Parts: sequence; structure tokens; C-alpha cells
Amino acid sequence: MKRWLLLLLAALLAAPAWAQTVLVDDRGRRVELAAPPQRIVSLLPSLTETVCALQACARLVGTDRFSNWPDSVLALPKLGGLEDTQIERIVSLKPDLVLAAGSSRAIDRLEALGLRVVALEPKSLQDTQRVIGKVALALGDAAAGAALWQRLSTRIDAAAARVPAAVRGKKVYFEVASAPYAAGEVSFIGETLARLGMGNAVPAALGPFPKLNPEYVVRVQPDIVMAAATALAEMPSRPGWDGLRALREHRACGFATERWEVLIRPGPRLAEAADILAECLVGLGAKAR
Amino acid sequence: MNAVLQAEGLMLQLGGQRALDGVSVAFRAGEWVAVVGPNGAGKSTLLSLLAGLRAADAGRVQLQGRALADWPARERARQLAWLSQQGEADGDIAARDVVRLGRLPRHGLFGAPDAADEAAVERAMVETECLAFAGRRLSQLSGGERQRVLLARALAVEAPVLLLDEPTTHLDAPHQRALLRGLAARARDGAAVVAVLHDLTLALTANRLLVMSRGRIQADGPPDDARLRAALVQVFDGAFSVERVVVDGRGRWVAVPTL
Amino acid sequence: MNDSTRALAAVAATLLLAAAALAVFGLAAGSEGLSFAWGRDWDLVAAIRAPRTVGALFTGALLGLAGAIAQGLFRNPLADPYLLGSAAGAGLGVVLVLAAGGLFGRLIGLANADLLLRFGLVGAAFAGALAGVTLTLLLARGTAQPMVLLLSGVVVGILLSAVSETVMLIAPEALRGKQIFLLGSTAFLGWNSVAVLAGALLVTLPLSLRFARALDALVLGEASARSLGLELPRVRLLLVVLMALATGTAVAQAGLVAFVGLVAPHIVRRLVVVTHGPLLALSALAGAVLLLASDVAARSVIAPQELPVGVLTAVFGGLYLMVLLRRRGRW
Repeated sequence: MKRWLLLLLAALLAAPAWAQTVLVDDRGRRVELAAPPQRIVSLLPSLTETVCALQACARLVGTDRFSNWPDSVLALPKLGGLEDTQIERIVSLKPDLVLAAGSSRAIDRLEALGLRVVALEPKSLQDTQRVIGKVALALGDAAAGAALWQRLSTRIDAAAARVPAAVRGKKVYFEVASAPYAAGEVSFIGETLARLGMGNAVPAALGPFPKLNPEYVVRVQPDIVMAAATALAEMPSRPGWDGLRALREHRACGFATERWEVLIRPGPRLAEAADILAECLVGLGAKAR
Repeated sequence: MNAVLQAEGLMLQLGGQRALDGVSVAFRAGEWVAVVGPNGAGKSTLLSLLAGLRAADAGRVQLQGRALADWPARERARQLAWLSQQGEADGDIAARDVVRLGRLPRHGLFGAPDAADEAAVERAMVETECLAFAGRRLSQLSGGERQRVLLARALAVEAPVLLLDEPTTHLDAPHQRALLRGLAARARDGAAVVAVLHDLTLALTANRLLVMSRGRIQADGPPDDARLRAALVQVFDGAFSVERVVVDGRGRWVAVPTL
Repeated sequence: MNDSTRALAAVAATLLLAAAALAVFGLAAGSEGLSFAWGRDWDLVAAIRAPRTVGALFTGALLGLAGAIAQGLFRNPLADPYLLGSAAGAGLGVVLVLAAGGLFGRLIGLANADLLLRFGLVGAAFAGALAGVTLTLLLARGTAQPMVLLLSGVVVGILLSAVSETVMLIAPEALRGKQIFLLGSTAFLGWNSVAVLAGALLVTLPLSLRFARALDALVLGEASARSLGLELPRVRLLLVVLMALATGTAVAQAGLVAFVGLVAPHIVRRLVVVTHGPLLALSALAGAVLLLASDVAARSVIAPQELPVGVLTAVFGGLYLMVLLRRRGRW
């Protein structure tokens, strides 16, 4: 009898702790959740990945077209992209929470139709931590968010430890798109590289993703070049780039599509990105020997 | 005398209407012909068919005894100079360069113009009095100036047959007079001049009139022919009468509006 | 007459001088702003700045020429070389290659995918541009009626853009590449590109000049030009083909650079009264100057970052047009 009463008391005490979750999303909007959401729609790949990393994958009922990790997500209804979000279909799925990027035009429409929308968009490392925290809060388990971030952080540090001394501190040129757009110090890629103990060919003053004069790269002579595999393959044919010592001496890493997607998506797979980068650096360190 | 330009049984449907309904006419060298008639009579259509710019549904046109369609484009262009009724000409090239285009039939797209070409251009520009603005852009000329340049272009071809559609548009009285004198002189020199005119008094100075209405030629003859004059008045529903006036001892036909 | 020849020579000389001066700046504009220490930076100057400068001149020349042809053919001062579907076609070509590279990259193997991308983008843009114009010609059933041709070009442009957008929905990785392409870029013009551009100019410029008189005749209007013995459909077809070749080559090498083709003939017409022969040649020169000026500015203003060159051609071109509009009521 006593045990039964104690359990009841515990349940009664725990209930108000959940009574109402309030969080402020990236728009500055207060969103109130009376209970942990059970039917979640995610309209941004990094948010999808965050939900799944927080062990709530089963609660997803639909995602945007571009979410493709983990594999279980592929079977979910695809609800369009940024421009052509399928409003009707989302409503028909009866979600009790919609996660979207702040720049999505669908948000106003969905809210007008009575859906609860939380707008979040991670852009930097700090953002990622914050977003993981907010999503965890929305899911009803703030502690899981902190724990996830801790695990990610530890994993990144572990990756950093693996970076051989021979390449530590070297200047990396990370090309995001051919124009060329580079990932600077203050971008999330740059921040990850920094945590791995690497330098960056693009200083903070130039912003996160500057469009560079190709001559700049040749002049700066980065120690290591990182890019998508296809871009890396055509780099030596760019005018003047055969003068890049890093290319001539094969101090470069080219990433195939799947791994490339991990690298350029700021989200819970940051740690995996760090692992991929570390693997590349370890390989280069071996060559240097 | 053989006809230099001849049409037989021309028929043309345009937009459900009979624009030309069986027109046969012949022009000889030395004739100065004015084509008159109310709006929609088919005057411009007839001229464009005679110039070979469109094909008739039935009937044929012969130039120098040969079917018009059989003439190579450039040779035909050397024989027939045509002036458009509408002022669709517009551009930034200089007036003189516009007139020079009249020599294209002679030297072609790739040939170089020679001294004879320049002389012809100069003569034409003197005749229509547009030398004063020879270097100005066509687009910056007034209506009258532009018309004189386009006229000069047609005259510069120096073709034996002139087909001019409303050549007096925008021209002031002195220039109209000069033009008509010039056309009459060309006819006397052996050209066949055919001009659509809307001013009947001016038309009555020609030595032959074609009165058209509803796609047909209603009358064809000199202004002295009483039947022609009657047909002229009838075709315009009696909006005017044709009177004889004596000026400086010479008799003239004039159209007087009946009010 | 002597006056006009003198004016013509003066304009030509001025443009040539401007081109030469800009070329000097082009060799000096690097990632550290303007620097004339060419001895020290010789590799960079010879391998990067020189071909880029010459390439910008040739690209601008091709676009200026194509724009002058377009405005003469359609007797419309607002015509530009992208009118007949060449821009939309080139864009679609680029998108298809990027999408294929992404979608099939895993299937056809990395080496082939990289080959596809290396030659594919330039080739696809060129082929796409020509395909767009061909479609327009087919839809309009030849060049007999300029208005129909113009409308067909608009229709083809819209259609191909729509197809492009649909492909990008399926393969979103093409989006970034397409955006970059749309803004235009002279960043990677090497000596190979310069050779291709020079070749295109050597073919299109003399041939266009030869047929320039037909554009003069068109000033009189369709019917009058025909009455002068010109066989317009054939000449128009040839000029359309020349325009497509020039535009296709320029777009394949440097992306969709805006405004150059539109503004270059206007600059020339403002300065001097000429027939279409000199107008085509001077428009090419003016286009070269305009694009190189934009390229030098793009490199120098926020060095070592670069502005997209298409933004600067729009700024320079747009400003010039605004000045023109304010100064006179009519062209």
C-alpha cells in the first residue's frame, strides 16, 4: 500500500514539472508545449538529424525532401523543400510540433492553420549547441540535449587528439563551392578545424564564407587543401593553380558526396565531421613521414 | 508601245475581305499615273502586289513581259522602286546612309558603292532637299524631313518603274509641289511613275488616273475624260466636285469639297 | 562626311585607349588590391591575371557584338543577346550536368563524374545555348517573321527555365552551382578559355560585319528592305546563328553576365552616328571595355574577396542607362 502511495506521490510531483514547456525559438517567438510532442514534422535536415540523435526518431511523421539521415528517415513522407513545402500534407499529418528553418516561408502559413512551429537554424558551432538544447527541451528532455552535446564535444576532442603533430597548426584551405567560396575561420567548418588544432587560410576578417579571388589562394599557399572530390580533381587545371604546392605534393583531401554532406551540414553529426577531417589529417601525417 | 508593268486578273483576300477583286492594268514607260480612291479601296495592296512584295491569290503580274515571280530579287529591285505608305522606318543611322540604301539593288549586299552610286545619292537628296540634314540620325528628323529622306531613297534606285504609296505624307506644300514636278519630269524622261495620292487636286495633275473602289478599278483615263471625273466624284459619294479653274491662262482641274 | 569619319575614328581610338588602360589595371588587380610589382608576382600575373584580363576583353566583345546584332535584327533598343533562349538553354545545360554529377556521381564512378564536371559545364552551357536558339527557330518556323521569332524566344526561355527549376527540385545540389553560374564569373578564365573566345570572335566578327548592311536595310522596315532585293529570311538566319555562337561561347566561359550586350551598342550610338558595320565593331569594343572595367572593379573593391562580375556590369550598365534617360527624353 505504502509503495503504491509513494509511486502516486512521485507521479503527482513529476507531473507539474512537465506541466508546461516554454521555449523561445530563433525568431524570438515564445512557443508553449503542454506535453512532449509525439508527432513531429521536421523541415530542415540538421533538425531531423538532431531529433534522431536525441533518440526521438520514432516520433517523426514527416520530413523535408533533403533529410536523408539516418536511413529510417528515408521511409517518411517527404514534404517538399524550402520553396515548395506541402502545407496541406503537413496539416493532414496532424503534427503537434513542426521544426523548421527560420527562413522558411511556410512558417506563417502553418501557424495560421493552428500548428505549433519552432524555428531553429544552426549556422555555427555555438548555434549547434544551442539548437540541440532547444530541440531537446521541446522534446521534453532538456538533459538529453546537454548529454548529447557533451558526447559530441568529447568526440571532437578525441578526434583532435588523433591529429598528428606533423600536421597540427597547418593552414587549411577548405573550399565549399567553386567560385571559389571558402570556409573561413568563423564558419562552423572553420571552428571545427580550429578545435582540431588546425589553422585556416582564410582569416576571420573575411567572414564565414567569402567569395575569393582565386589568386589569393595561390598567393597564400595553404598547407592543406580540402574540397569535394570532384572539385579537387579539377583544381589543378585552374589558371595558375598548378602553382599550389599543396596540390602538387598531394597534401589534399577530396571528399565524396556522402561524407561531403556530413561536412557541410551543421548539426549533430559535427562529431562525425570532425572524425572525417581527422581521418584525412592522419592520412596526410602518415604521408609526411 | 509595250507595257513595262502589267497586271491581269489580280485577286486577293485579306482577313475575309476581297482586297482586290479582279484588277487588270498596264503601265507604259513615260506614264505618270495617280491612283486614287477611298480608304480600303485596295490601292496600297495593288502597289505591293505590283512590287512583288506579296503574292496574289489569282492572276499574274508581268514585268517587261516576264512573270514577276521569275525575276531574281535583285534584278527586280533594280527595275521597281517601291515606297512604303507607313512610316515604319526608324533607326539611328544617318540620313545620307538611308538614301544610300537605295543603291543596294545595284551593288548588292557585298558590293562596294562607286562614284556613280554616290552621284545618284547626291542627285536624289538634292531633288528632295534633304542635304541640309544629311548627317543627322533618321530617328531625330521631323515627319516631313524623314519623308523626304525616304523619298530620296526610293528615287536613288533610279529604277525605270516607280511605285510610290502616298509619297506626299507629311510634306508641306512647297515640297509637295517639288515632288510632283520631279515625278512628272521623270515620266517625261521615260520612267513609269505610279503614285497613290490622297490629295485629289494633286492627283488631277497627273496624265492618267486610276480610280479604285472596293478592290476594283472603277475608271482609268486622263483627267480630261468626263466619265473619269464623274466616276471619281461618285466613288467619293459626292463629297466634292471637280471644277475647271484657269490660272495664269492655263486650265486646271481642282477638287472642291461640297460642304 | 569627313566629320563623321573623324568622329568614328575618335570613338574607336578612345575605346581602344580605355581597353589598353584597363588591361594595365587588369594585370595589376590581384588579391592584394592594385599592385604594379609585376616582377615579383610574375607567375601570378602571367598565369592568372593576364588570361583573365584578355578573357574578359574577348567575352565582353562577343557579348557587345551579339547585343548589337540583336538590337539591329529586332529593331528594338531593348533587345539583348539572351533574347532567343540562349540564356535559359545555357542555364539548363549547366543544371543538367550538375544534377547528373550529383545524382549519378555514385553510379558512374568518381573519375567519370569529375571528367563530366571538368569539360561538362563549359560544353553543356555552350550546347544548351545553341539548343535554346535552335528550339526558338523551330518554334518560330524560321526567321520569316521577326515578331514571331521574338515571341518564340520568350516562350522557349520560360519553358527551359521551368525545366531547369524542376530539375533543381530533384537535385538540389545543382542549385548552388546554378546560382554561381547565373551571376557570371571571369575568375577561372585561363589561356585555354582565351583561345576558345578568340576563335569565336575570329569567326563571328568578320562574318557579322559582312552582313551588317542587311541590318541597315532593316531600318527601312521589312517590306522596304525586301523591295531592295534582299532575301531577308536567309540573312536573318545567318545573323541569328552568329549571335547564338557568340553568346553561347561567352556564356559557356563566363556565365550569364548581365547588361553588357544591352548597353554596349547604346554607348556607341550615343557617341557617334554610324551604320551597322562600324556599330557592330565598336559595340564589340565597348563591350570589351565594359566587362573588363567590371572585372577589374570586382577584383579590387573588396580584395581579396571578389564581387560577382555580373553585379558590377549591372551597376555600371544600369547607371549609364539612367544617365541616358535623364539627359534626353528619347534615344
